[in-house]
Parts: sequence; structure tokens; C-alpha cells
Amino acid sequence: MIDGIWDVLLVTPIGRLQVVFEFTRIDGVLTGVARGKGENSPLHDIVETDGRVTWRQQITKPMRLNLEFDVTVLGAGLEGTSKAGRLPSSRVTGIRR
Amino acid sequence: MYAQVVLFDGFDPLDVIAPYEVLSAGSDAAGGALELSLVTAEGARTVISGTPGLSLEATAKLDPALPGLIVIPGASGPVAADPDVVDTIPVLLARVGGTDLPALVRQAFDNPDLIVATVCGGSLALAMAGVLEGRTAVTHRLGLEVLEATGVTVVDARVVDDGNLVTAGGVTSGLDLGFYLLDRLFGPKVALSVEHLFQYERRGIVWRNAGLEPVEV
Repeated sequence: MIDGIWDVLLVTPIGRLQVVFEFTRIDGVLTGVARGKGENSPLHDIVETDGRVTWRQQITKPMRLNLEFDVTVLGAGLEGTSKAGRLPSSRVTGIRR
Repeated sequence: MYAQVVLFDGFDPLDVIAPYEVLSAGSDAAGGALELSLVTAEGARTVISGTPGLSLEATAKLDPALPGLIVIPGASGPVAADPDVVDTIPVLLARVGGTDLPALVRQAFDNPDLIVATVCGGSLALAMAGVLEGRTAVTHRLGLEVLEATGVTVVDARVVDDGNLVTAGGVTSGLDLGFYLLDRLFGPKVALSVEHLFQYERRGIVWRNAGLEPVEV
């Protein structure tokens, strides 16, 4: 289960970003928000299947990007990729707070 | 009319000079129709380019109320290095988002008497700042995928005309942008006379959202 708060490191074309992801489950529905430097962005189309979680989000800081995430929760850690359009996917790692 | 060519720290000199000279010669051929200037988002200052040893002098702050053209160049510098350590071109372009330029360009888009034109990474700098959401544009071929990821519809043409936004591809396409803008503003006779003067023939078809959709055959 991905519910909770995660410290996540993202790699973008303009450098590494430290982002906090917060997943909340209300009445069985999973919602999430990413808190970055100067911006909170909601997560869309969150799908969780057997510890694998995918979602989409738009960020505008430090640059405007459409991102697609695909991560797997492994105990207190998560690992996976984020992809911006047709760019090569970049590695995502996170630690549960 | 005015042609304000924008400088920012790390700009690519050829992106600036190519359209500047074409527009300057075109202005002469059109009887002095354009008043050209180098500007920044901050005001008059010396601006250091991304190419070692080259700086240019901006004389004023970009004024989005003036009619005519605004031309925004890309950056020059390393591409492949680690962006956490080195000011790569994407880092230089993203830094533009922290200046007043995106806000000034938004105002420019609201001015019906202005065309915003970009060369090379200029469109990417605006797109990274969220200013080109939903627009159709091109950039240097190395940046096309990033441009698309910012929410822009990408057309891989040398020059893309999306109304009040005219974007051009990599560095040398700044020449083709300049000639297209002359053609659009003053007509083919003026543009052709400058082609003769520069001993250059414009390259590529300018994409516009017009005409038939090609059928796959």
C-alpha cells in the first residue's frame, strides 16, 4: 500500500528534484498530491495493483512538464520511473517518511 | 513598427544576429519600416552570451505595448553534461522562467499588433515557463521531445506559424525565420531583395494550420 508520505527524488532535464508525495485513501479511493519547491500538484488517474502504482501529474515548477509515473512499493521504499512525453524515462526512488 | 530582439544570460549569439541582420536589411528595403533594438526583461545592460567571448549590449527593457515583433533566441552551451553541475542549455533556458520575460510575453500575446517569434531554444524557454500551453511550435531538434512534454503541439518544420507565435528550429533557421517575417510583414519583393543581398535562399516550408491534411499513402 502506497498510503502515506514519501520523500522522492526525481531526475529531470534540468537537474534533480526533491519532491514529497502524499497519498491518502478516503472510503477506498486513493488520492495524492506532490509537494515540490513552490508548488503543490494533484496526482491524476492513480491506479494501484499489487504494490505497483501508476499516475499522471502536471508540474509547472521548476518547469512545465507532463509526467507519467510507474513505481513499485517495496516495504519502506519505492522505486520506478517517471516519463515526460517521449523523453527517455528517468529513475524515481523514494523513502517512506 | 518595432522589432525588439531579446537577450538573456547565456543566449546563443547566432540566434540573435541572424534574424537581426535580416530584419535590419528588410527594414532598409521597406523604407525604414522597423525600428530594431536589443532588449532584456530587466532593462539596459551588457548581456553575456553562452558562447565564450561574445557579449551584446541591450539598450532598453522589453516593452510588450509596442507594435511589431519580439524575437526570442535560444541558449548556447553544453548539452550532455550533468545539469546539477553544469549550466547546460536546458538549465539556461529554464532559468529564463525565473525572470520577468514569461510575464512580458504573456502581455505581448494580448497585444493584437505584436508577433512573438523564437529561434532555436527560445520556444522551449517560454514553454518551460508554461507560456506556450496548447500552442503549436518547433524548437531545435534536440529539444522537440521536451517541448512536447511541456504541453505544446510540436510540428517538425523549419518555421512554424501559429498566428501571433512564429517559432523556428535550430540555430541557422533564424535566417529563415527572418525572411519569413519580412515576407509576412512587407511582402515577397522586400524579402527577395534581402535574399539577394545576403546571397541566401530561404529553406523549408513554413507550416501554417491551413489547407488539406495529407492522406497516408
